[in-house]
Amino acid sequence: MGLSERIERNVDLSYFEGKIPVNYVYTYGLGLEKFFNAIKEKGEFLASRCPECGAVYFPCRIFCERCFSEITRTFKVPGTGTVYSYTVCHLDMDGSPKKEPDVVGLIEVDGTEGAKFVHFIDAKPDKVTIGRKVKPVLKAKKDREGGIFDIKGFRQV
Amino acid sequence: MSQKVAIVGAGITKFVRRAQETGKELAWQASKMALDSCGLSLKDIDSVSLGTAPDAFDGVHMKGEYLSDGSGGWRKPYMRQFVGGGTGVFAPIHGWMHVASGMFDTCLVVCSEKMSTCYPHPQGAFLTIFDHTTEQALDPTLIWIFALEYNRYMETYGLTKRDIAPVSVKNKKNAMDHPSAQLPMDITVDDVLNSELLAWPVNRLDISPASDGAAAIVLAGEHAAKRITDKPVWIDGVGWNLDTAYWATRDLSYPRYVEKAARMAYDMAGIKEPRREIEIAEPYDPFTYKELHHMEGLLLADRGEAPQLLADGVTQRDGDRPMCPSGGALGVGNPISATGLMKVIEIFLQLRGEAEKRQVPGNPTCGLAQAWGDLMQVGTVVVMRR
Repeated sequence: MGLSERIERNVDLSYFEGKIPVNYVYTYGLGLEKFFNAIKEKGEFLASRCPECGAVYFPCRIFCERCFSEITRTFKVPGTGTVYSYTVCHLDMDGSPKKEPDVVGLIEVDGTEGAKFVHFIDAKPDKVTIGRKVKPVLKAKKDREGGIFDIKGFRQV
Repeated sequence: MSQKVAIVGAGITKFVRRAQETGKELAWQASKMALDSCGLSLKDIDSVSLGTAPDAFDGVHMKGEYLSDGSGGWRKPYMRQFVGGGTGVFAPIHGWMHVASGMFDTCLVVCSEKMSTCYPHPQGAFLTIFDHTTEQALDPTLIWIFALEYNRYMETYGLTKRDIAPVSVKNKKNAMDHPSAQLPMDITVDDVLNSELLAWPVNRLDISPASDGAAAIVLAGEHAAKRITDKPVWIDGVGWNLDTAYWATRDLSYPRYVEKAARMAYDMAGIKEPRREIEIAEPYDPFTYKELHHMEGLLLADRGEAPQLLADGVTQRDGDRPMCPSGGALGVGNPISATGLMKVIEIFLQLRGEAEKRQVPGNPTCGLAQAWGDLMQVGTVVVMRR
């Protein structure tokens, strides 16, 4: 334990390098594949409501986590919402400063009885406020790939 | 113990190489099936025990938290545990503790695994379970270390690969009757011996596949169980044991840790003569030789004698001591934690007389399921009676 008090950088100790040599290929799953396909193909946002207990989920899911019922039907919501909370990120993953700070928002999605969704807000940090209305900004249809960045972010209106 | 514990319901998804479903969607499918099988709903469940193997398989850190909604953990006392490949039989032991302690009357036990997320193959994730200072640089794979154990087992008892390969023939054939099976096959011993050589003496058909899948059971305390079903299957003994992490220093011909786990479970269940009293078993069979190795550790065969029992047909479904009537990991597939629970479910169904085409004759009353894992050093055992 004594060494760690006198040596500040771990690479000044005797060491060897390692890594976990694996990559990952994730499936979207049955619920999210439907959600992202609707955005990609039609620019539509899908929520779902539990047929048993009425809980609303956004994005849509195939089962209700509260009562375990299967959810087969989805319904469209406009994708607009309200800023519920936000933060402004100045540093990168490794601790170095970002060129431009990112604004990350938690959006309460209209028509979902309070479901929330996290994404970037396209705004100057000093212009973001809780309670502001936002709308989603999608990529052009030809550029959409069926994933989270088909939504570029949300813009305050 | 505060109360006896029974299994009252069970569910399993299909085991497949690649599932479109996420791990949590698989977990929900199995859990929902288990609840439906005994007429319960999630609100009847007091606690949830999740078993799932290393996070690195799914590429999701804190996989227990990730799988919680599919496992019915929403706003419930929920715990994840894992002991590598032994997880699927440890999860019901863990759930048993929840109920036997008297803390809860019902517990949903769920095991879910999604190994297909690893690209190109889960061996990349397995590599870093080995000691990073002395072993990792040698590029060990799981096949590599079990090949060492397989070879030592043959050497100790004067066995050949031809003595061991029939395990694959038997289990893959048994799997033809299992609706969840990934690799059901009708093959010969020569097919096994002539399949692709991976790491001598392990050929392709000596080894279970990487799989996606989930399994779940419902546990209930004595009074609750009798309200829920006329056919409870009681967990009468549980045992688990861990050997040294310096795997290379062990006697590889005999799984002492399995024996210790088995003795713990037998003592609890009052079993004095396992070979007479355990009528049916699901020893963990990720490799052909492991079914035999584990039968010996479970005291269901003398050391080195299991291959003879296999040759004599004793371990066939219609033999005196059926082993892996489900088709096992070799036939049904091996989504790590879900495999062990699949084995528990097989014994549950067999003891209830509900195993359909897989049903062994003779109305068995007592059976066991066993799994094995961590760095090939943990044994987990559950003894069940109807």
